[in-house]
Amino acid sequence: MCPAPTGTVHVYGQLREYCAGASQLSVSARTVRAALEDLERSQSALYRNLCDETGKVRRHLNVFVNTDNVRDLDGIDTTLTAGDVVTILPAVSGG
Amino acid sequence: MKGADRVILTIGTKKGVFVAEAAKPRRKFELRGPFGPGVPVYSTLIDTRGTPRLYASSCNPFFGMKVLRSTNVGKGFEETKSGPAFPKDDGRALINIWSLEPGGGKKELWCGVEPASLFRSRDGGDSWEMVPGISNHEHARKWQPGNGGLCMHTIIRDGNRVHLGISTGGHYLSEDGGDTFKASNQGVGAGFAPDPYPEFGQCVHKIARHEDAPGRLYMQNHGGWADWTGPGGPRPDIGVLRSDDHGRSWRSIASGLPSDFGFPIVVHPHDADTVYVVPLEPATRSCPGGAPAVWRSENGGDSWSRLARGLPKKQSYFTILRDAMDIDHLTAPSLYFGTTTGQLWIGREGGEKWECVFDSLPPIHNVKVAVV
Repeated sequence: MCPAPTGTVHVYGQLREYCAGASQLSVSARTVRAALEDLERSQSALYRNLCDETGKVRRHLNVFVNTDNVRDLDGIDTTLTAGDVVTILPAVSGG
Repeated sequence: MKGADRVILTIGTKKGVFVAEAAKPRRKFELRGPFGPGVPVYSTLIDTRGTPRLYASSCNPFFGMKVLRSTNVGKGFEETKSGPAFPKDDGRALINIWSLEPGGGKKELWCGVEPASLFRSRDGGDSWEMVPGISNHEHARKWQPGNGGLCMHTIIRDGNRVHLGISTGGHYLSEDGGDTFKASNQGVGAGFAPDPYPEFGQCVHKIARHEDAPGRLYMQNHGGWADWTGPGGPRPDIGVLRSDDHGRSWRSIASGLPSDFGFPIVVHPHDADTVYVVPLEPATRSCPGGAPAVWRSENGGDSWSRLARGLPKKQSYFTILRDAMDIDHLTAPSLYFGTTTGQLWIGREGGEKWECVFDSLPPIHNVKVAVV
C-alpha cells in the first residue's frame, strides 16, 4: 500500500496554545477522519478542542479541505491528497 | 478562616469570570478580569480549604468545556490539566458545566454537568472521573432538559449524604457518600406533567441548607402553576419548599410570596430559619411589576417580608439566575446578586439596604462570595 499522503492542518489562532504555538501541523492521512485520529494521538490537547468525547467534530466548528466545507463533500470521510490543506474554524455565530 | 480579612466575589458572566475584592467593611470593591474572556462561565467556586483556590467553569460552545483555576486569589487563572468528560463509549458529550463544589478530601472537587451527570476530581481539577451512581442511574436517560438544558446544578454534601438538584430531574439523595442515589421528591410538585407529584422529573431550580442544620433544606422549585386547569388541576405554591428530614419529604412554604417562581434560594449563615428568595413573574422570568425585591423569611418560611430599599422601584425587568445570589459569612452578612442585565448588587445588613456595585458587566450567571 502507498504511504498516506501528507497534508497540512492549519491551527486556528486561539488553539495554538494547545500545540506549543504551532500555526500548522503536518499530517499523513487518507481522509479527514484519519487526520483527526492522527491529531488525537499526537496532539491530544488540541484534539479535545476539536472533537467531543464521542469523536464527533464539535457542533459549532466547520472543517474545510482547501476551500471546500466537508459537509459539501463526504463529511469527515472526505479523502485527502498530497498537499491538501485542512482548516478547522469556528462557525460565525454568537453575540 | 484564621486571619481572613478580604471579601472575594467571583462573578461568572456570559463573557468570562470577574473577581471583585474588598476589605471587610465592603465599602469599595476592586474589579479584576475578565478571565477566560468571551467565554460563558456558569459556575464558580471559592475553595477556602487551606490556601484559597478559585475555580470557574469556562463553557466554550466552540471548543468545549474547561475548568479554570486561580491560586493567587483571582489575579490570574489557568486551565486545569483536563476537564470532566464522559467515557468514550458512553455516547454522551459534555454540553455545559453547571456546578463546582468542594469534596471530602482537601483536593477533592465535585462537578455537576449538562447532560445531568456528576464528576469527581481528587487532584484539584486536573483529572476527573464520572460518578456512575447518578450519571448512570436508571432514571438518567428519562430526564428531560428544561429551558436551561438538562443540568445538574446543585451539589450539597453532608457527611455521607449527598443532595443533588437536577433540572429537569428533581432532587436525588445519596446516603452512602455518592455510591448510590434515590429520587427523593415526596411533596415536590411538577407543573408540566399530568401527574402533579411524580417520583422524579421535577424542575428543581436550586436547593440550599445551613451547615449547622443539615436536616433542614430549602428548595426553589419551578412554580407558577396556580392557574393550571389541565389534567391534575391547579398546583399553587409548589415553587418554594422546605424539608426537615434530610430531603426525604418536602412541604410548601410559598404562602405570602408575590410569586412562587424564582431561581436562587439562599440561607442566612448564622440562622437556619432565615432564608431569601427572589420571586419572579413565571411567564417572563423578570421582576414582578418591574420592581425587583428580595424576600426574606426569618421563621423558616412561615411568613415573608419584602426587602427592596435601594433597589429600583420601576422599569427593571432583569432576571436573577439560579446561582447568581450568595451571602457572605461576616457578623452582619451582606447578600449579593447579579442580574442578566449585568448589574452586581450588594444588600447590606442581611439585605436591608441595597447598592449597585457594578452596573455594566456582561449578563451574570453566577455569584459566589467568601472571606479569605
